[in-house]
Amino acid sequence: MKMPLLTACKLALVLLSCSIYPALGDDLDVDLSKPDVRLDVSFKGSDILLFGAKDIKGDVIVVVRGPNKDTSVRFKQRIAGIWMNTDEVVYTNVPSFYALASTAPVFELLPTAVLKSERIGTENLGLEKKSSSERMTAETLQDFTKGLIRNMESKKLYTPGVGSIKIVGKQLFKTELWFPSNVNVGNYSVDTYLIKNGRIETKKTTHLQVHKFGIEAQIYNFAHEHALIYGFLAVIIAMVSGWLANAVIFMRKG
Amino acid sequence: MQIYLPIAEVSVNIFLILGMGGGIGFLSGLFGVGGGFLMTPLLIFIGIPPAVAVGTGANQIVASSISAVLAHWKRGNVDFKMGFMLLIGGMLGSTLGVWLFTYLKTLGQIDLVIQLSYVLFLGVIGLLMLFESIMAMLRSRAGILKRKQHNFLQALPFKMKFRRSKLYVSALLPIGIGFVVGVLSAIMGVGGGFVMVPAMIYLLGMPTVIVVGTSLFQIIFVTANVTILQSLHNFSVDVVLAVLLLIGAVFGAQLGAKFGAKLKGEELRILLALMVVGVCIKIALDLTLTPSDLYGINILGGH
Repeated sequence: MKMPLLTACKLALVLLSCSIYPALGDDLDVDLSKPDVRLDVSFKGSDILLFGAKDIKGDVIVVVRGPNKDTSVRFKQRIAGIWMNTDEVVYTNVPSFYALASTAPVFELLPTAVLKSERIGTENLGLEKKSSSERMTAETLQDFTKGLIRNMESKKLYTPGVGSIKIVGKQLFKTELWFPSNVNVGNYSVDTYLIKNGRIETKKTTHLQVHKFGIEAQIYNFAHEHALIYGFLAVIIAMVSGWLANAVIFMRKG
Repeated sequence: MQIYLPIAEVSVNIFLILGMGGGIGFLSGLFGVGGGFLMTPLLIFIGIPPAVAVGTGANQIVASSISAVLAHWKRGNVDFKMGFMLLIGGMLGSTLGVWLFTYLKTLGQIDLVIQLSYVLFLGVIGLLMLFESIMAMLRSRAGILKRKQHNFLQALPFKMKFRRSKLYVSALLPIGIGFVVGVLSAIMGVGGGFVMVPAMIYLLGMPTVIVVGTSLFQIIFVTANVTILQSLHNFSVDVVLAVLLLIGAVFGAQLGAKFGAKLKGEELRILLALMVVGVCIKIALDLTLTPSDLYGINILGGH
């Protein structure tokens, strides 16, 4: 029961700080239940609670983005009865994670132009093409972009649709963010918007580290820093355990 | 019980992995194949990234092969002289294979080349073995025993005595087989037992029991080499996954070797043939059936 108490304390603190400094335009405060996501031996995905307080009436949108990666999308076509990759588009700056939550449908809160410029919603990611196997019409490119988003959604790295943000009382809000077990490591950004009358009143950005932890981090770092030794060790482990298993069974028989 | 793998970067069920290792280990002890041609597709199927599946599969096969070779050695079923000849060819072949792999990669379509070579080799070898062993079984039932004689293969120079295999053949034959298998194993990411076992039975006329032990002996070195190269160049060997797989596999391999001693050569070959044809059909279907999504993605890396 430690977490809820801690959370309640934090909420109270947030609330307090808001009411003390309303005049500074600090009308939005946001915090996370954990400062990082630790990928340790028992990691199977992680929930993080985002909570905050606002001191004016209005709606809230939360956008979480993972580190950007170059991502290649390939299109399969049937040639002589066999499905093979044909065209390829490489996108640059594709967020490796994207989640969106809001108190109401985002298109009701903000005009399309603002959604586009703030890159709110998977249809507004503003993906840039780095290269493609041949010249493409805008329509074909659109199909590739949709294919990319569909693939990310089926990997659970993009959340389809919009998550809900719960309003507690008049000024507090909270939402659960889910990080699946195949999440990428890196620096994640969490943007929280306070919206009133179709305008962004305030935008707050917090950061969240997703990193390997404990023995997982040690193995990963060793494999990258001493690759040759790691390879030899892997072979030696395999050889010894193969020999051991044989010896154990032989002893039992003997 | 779930465990998060440090290199594969996914969470898997421990018992699923142990069971998979056990099943593949059993088959490798039984047939003398490393089981890579089953392990790699299975690992990919449960969500391990393909590169990690290939690298880690090789590492696991080192363990199960050692365990099985020891079991076969105690029964006197390993021809070390033959094994060394295969190894010479294997090292040369895998060096050429790695070079070929890199070349094909620059052309694109490496995945397709791998899948097509699986279909081609598994299909041809599986069907040949199936027909041959059914014929052999029918012949032995009819009471006729026939020993294969190889005309032009007998005429090759550098003849050598292989006492354990009861053969007097050219050293070029096992070196040649090792070479071809080396090339294939580098491209397909497997130990190559499923190519080597039939080749030694049908081309060299080696007794099936000796073939199994000798093939495993060679596979140890090829897969150890692959493990080290994959760790060095691709960082794609997950020791945690490998240890889980090999705990299952080493025990499975012992059981397999024991069980295999009770089966006749023809029966063993029919079973192996059926399995090879099965995997071939599965991969062929993957290539020809309409995929659920025509678009596929590959996250290339960072900024």
